[in-house]
Amino acid sequence: MNDLAAAVATPMANVEERTKIKVRDLHFYYNGFHALKGISMDVPEKQVTAIIGPSGCGKSTLLRIFNRIYAIYPKLEAKGQVELDGENILDPGYSMNRLRGKVGMVFQKPVPFPMTIFENVAYGIRHHEKLSKPDMSTRVEQALRSAALWDEVKDKLKQNALSLSGGQQQRLCIARAIALRPEVLLLDEPTSALDPIATSRIEQLVEELKSEYTIVIVTHNMQQAARVSDYTGFMYIGELIEFGNTEKIFTKPDRKQTEDYITGRFG
Amino acid sequence: MQVPSTEPLARNIDARSRADALHDRIFRRTLKFCALLVLAALVGAALSTLWGGREVLFGHGLHFLSSTAWNPVEDDYGALAPIFGTLVTSLIALVLAVPVSFGIALFLTEIAPAWLRGPVGAAIELLAGIPSIIYGMWGLFVFVPFMSRIEPALSATLGKIPLVGKLFQGPPLGLGLLTAGIVLAVMILPFISSVMREVFQTVPTRLKESAYALGSTTWEVLWDIVLPYTRSAVIGGIFLGLGRALGETMAVTFVLGNSYNITSSLLMPGTTISSSIANEFNEAVGTHRSALIALGFLLFVVTFIVLLIARLMLRQLAKREGR
Repeated sequence: MNDLAAAVATPMANVEERTKIKVRDLHFYYNGFHALKGISMDVPEKQVTAIIGPSGCGKSTLLRIFNRIYAIYPKLEAKGQVELDGENILDPGYSMNRLRGKVGMVFQKPVPFPMTIFENVAYGIRHHEKLSKPDMSTRVEQALRSAALWDEVKDKLKQNALSLSGGQQQRLCIARAIALRPEVLLLDEPTSALDPIATSRIEQLVEELKSEYTIVIVTHNMQQAARVSDYTGFMYIGELIEFGNTEKIFTKPDRKQTEDYITGRFG
Repeated sequence: MQVPSTEPLARNIDARSRADALHDRIFRRTLKFCALLVLAALVGAALSTLWGGREVLFGHGLHFLSSTAWNPVEDDYGALAPIFGTLVTSLIALVLAVPVSFGIALFLTEIAPAWLRGPVGAAIELLAGIPSIIYGMWGLFVFVPFMSRIEPALSATLGKIPLVGKLFQGPPLGLGLLTAGIVLAVMILPFISSVMREVFQTVPTRLKESAYALGSTTWEVLWDIVLPYTRSAVIGGIFLGLGRALGETMAVTFVLGNSYNITSSLLMPGTTISSSIANEFNEAVGTHRSALIALGFLLFVVTFIVLLIARLMLRQLAKREGR
């Protein structure tokens, strides 16, 4: 705890940062298996927070708690506190609809819905808001522009989304998520299925989006974490070993395990 | 630059590649033969019914297609009543079986706890394995008396609705189009639901998760994502069921009443193409036999048209999705 407090307090003392997601003593059980063991961290608002660690360390699990997507499966259980703007989202009374409207998610592989490009973006909006046709078109355009996809698809909005390339599909998924105007954007290894050029476009996009959204990105690509994030958390076998300013984690980590992982000695 | 080899290779590349090419050719021809066999069987069956029914099909021409008469004594035959009965009973079966199959398949793939999936899945497959004669017997001895008891209630309630009401008015015979349709529905249900179950399982988890992540409810995920994703296979499954319903013989023969008439009431007896054939083939000679074979040919045509409609529907749907 002390390490954590110190790590969060030291970096960028010049900027007063608000905590968007406050995680306290979070445990997660998968069919009885103890997958997360007492995670505590503060995700700062409108910054990019990366979570790194070897496969199976629980980083995706942690991400999937932030929008409670795990709750669609039986026998998964989260204990502890995850506060979004001060409200505990693990509280059964917290509306799932509200949570999913506030926290968007993009998955590892691009997963366009089996619909047209336009409908892919409009689909989520329609669930949360009733918009007139012109309003909907504007919203879809905005979302596609924010995802840096508009120029490539504006002439083929009526085509099936599966006709796009992998990188375009992933940006469509980002557009789909930000179309709901969420506050937090969760990215679960968003570039692991993409080629280097598409990857760098997504990273560039993450950089642009952070002025408006709090972004949490899970990645097993350490260079990517170093490139795009402001804060980094290193996880290992269900525990958050270290959390702090990205520069510090990658240059002067406090913990031996972090250093070993960063320098490629294991993982 | 090529390095000349100093010693000859120990294998004979030419002979090997000749042998490989031969094997491939034989393999391809065998496969082609298998596929063509199906085509040949189909064309053969269609042509032989066409030939067998030529006397009525070409001799009586349009009269055979448009008449509701069926009089073996005067050799006056019309196919309209059997065609009507075939289409109506199959339609009832589809209307009842599709939603229920959809529910079963969704429940089994998305909602049911793991311990329940096995038993219910097995039960459905067993249902598919029951021979149709058993359905017919069950239909006649158990279901028909049951229907004759609830039909007065149907007439008293649904029968009072304007327009639709006509369908449910009539004597409570128990036998009839509605009863046959329901029995058919039970029979095709396992086919449709197991196809649906198979294809619903192919929907990638991440696709469903993405929809949940946008706030969709379970119903929305199923209706907006799972169903469109599996659309063509689902429609394929439905038409597989429809194909069976159109051709089903024994069960329908037992519970349909076998009378050549076209009525607006679903409670009245009727006949289908296949049950007419089954009922009368024993005693049919001459023109009568020709008429029955011609009916068989019409069943080909009807099934073909139905499948054609399915294709067109699929193409229409694909167009709407921008594919």
